[in-house]
Amino acid sequence: MISEGRHRRPKQRRLRRRTEISREDSMGCLPEELILAILVRVPVKYLLQFKCVSKNWFNLISSPEFVKTHLDFSANDYTRHMSLLQYNALSTEIKYCYVTCLFHEPVIEALDLYCPMKNTPQSVQISGSVNGLVCLSDGFGRLVLWNPSIRKFKNVFGFLPTKMGSAWFKSGFGYDEVHDDYKVVGIFSNMVKAYFEAVIYSLKRDSCTTLEDFKPGVTYCGDAKFVHRKLHWITYRRRGWGISCIDLVEEKWGKLELPSCKEEQELKLGVLQGDLSFLSSNDERNHSDVWVMKEYGVKASWTKLYTIRYPENYKLVTPLFTYSKGKILLAFKSSLAIYDPKNDSITYPTVTNVELTDSITHATYNIDVTSYYSIVEAEICIESLVCPDLPNKY
Amino acid sequence: MSSSTKFLTLKTNDKEEFVLDEAIAIRSQTIKNMVEDDCVSNVIPLPNVDSKTMIKVIEYWKKHSEEGISKDKLMDFDKAFVKVDQSILYALILAANFLNDAEMLDMICQEVANRIKGKTPEEIRKEFNIENDFTPEEEEEIRNENVWAFE
Repeated sequence: MISEGRHRRPKQRRLRRRTEISREDSMGCLPEELILAILVRVPVKYLLQFKCVSKNWFNLISSPEFVKTHLDFSANDYTRHMSLLQYNALSTEIKYCYVTCLFHEPVIEALDLYCPMKNTPQSVQISGSVNGLVCLSDGFGRLVLWNPSIRKFKNVFGFLPTKMGSAWFKSGFGYDEVHDDYKVVGIFSNMVKAYFEAVIYSLKRDSCTTLEDFKPGVTYCGDAKFVHRKLHWITYRRRGWGISCIDLVEEKWGKLELPSCKEEQELKLGVLQGDLSFLSSNDERNHSDVWVMKEYGVKASWTKLYTIRYPENYKLVTPLFTYSKGKILLAFKSSLAIYDPKNDSITYPTVTNVELTDSITHATYNIDVTSYYSIVEAEICIESLVCPDLPNKY
Repeated sequence: MSSSTKFLTLKTNDKEEFVLDEAIAIRSQTIKNMVEDDCVSNVIPLPNVDSKTMIKVIEYWKKHSEEGISKDKLMDFDKAFVKVDQSILYALILAANFLNDAEMLDMICQEVANRIKGKTPEEIRKEFNIENDFTPEEEEEIRNENVWAFE
């Protein structure tokens, strides 16, 4: 009878010693494909150090192909997903913590990020994040495209409508994969003059243009969400809620249908595992339904995942991230919250090193999850090597 | 063992022979292709793998082929499996690449990545046997570009 893996020759010990000597202990002769397979698994900070190993490594790590492969790898690795946090709407302070820590650790220290947008007349808004780039806007025509993992950024000025001065605006940030371009879309409105204009900024063209086929007539609500090469907004008109979107490749507007349900009071968009998602609130504001569009563009594929019941009256929140076993991360009032559908529970991970500002009194205080008026703004950002501009420092 | 179990003989570059259940051996895409193309004679030569490394590979394959083994147990096994000397890890990465076992290659590349995190460029050069072809000025310039990353 033959046993599996059995040796037929007894000379093993002598051979083993010989091979050990000849092998040495160096990674010296690894083919480039294996060096690459190792490097895509190395976090950004260390890769920046490894750029000075040799010219070959410098070119390897800087090459667009590697940046892309590293990004694809990071997108599937939750330990490389950061949650950017903005607790104080009046300052330019942005902090972060890793998403996996929020799910696994009871107490997480928020770390400081050096926000490149300083001395703004108003607050800094996070317009969105894609491929590790974050778009910040000050509401007065200035944008900053920023990669916090490599601390590089690009300033953009003149992101403004052509026919009106200051106006209220909503912005969104996304990626045009066909032209390998990053684009910001702003919807400007001046209710008094009933004037609307949509402006698009393209990083590749480095210029702003007015989008011609923009037909308003609806109210754009909340933050834009980027899915399937399009930016999406929840819209409201007399007949009810809808979703408007702009294709960043074609730069054309379109619509998506919501599932047929009438009771919603308010909707908030989010992205869960790459799918467009929304949370809806009922009249009593004591529960939210979580919906996901499983097949993009197919109305029938809207699926209600579950209903989150809240212990008290609440302000509608944004679904941020789903994790294993359906757990979902939410920006909940003044804190982050994790809803676990398994036991229908909400837990609040304690984030330290943060201060809140009450949006009414402007007083700062420590985190209190029950505060109604202060809300945490959060955005998921992937660690990446994508550079928004030529080298710059701050 | 069922009567349909087929065995393959794998021959390493130091002339050792290993007899292995075909169902386990085809975790290697390289071996699987050979079996599917019907170009398997009695013995499959593995010119890029030595016996010491093959013992480790087979240990991994058998554990990962165990029926009903829990994910947690496999994770513990994997953790212990990669806790080996640099030289063995180096041989394993080459073997996994040659045998084309994506799952094992992933795990070993991740381990190497974990080990090189935080090493200085000088240590990396030594470990990967790389010559520094930058002038001191050039190296300084690249460092200055990302000073914070070295803090």
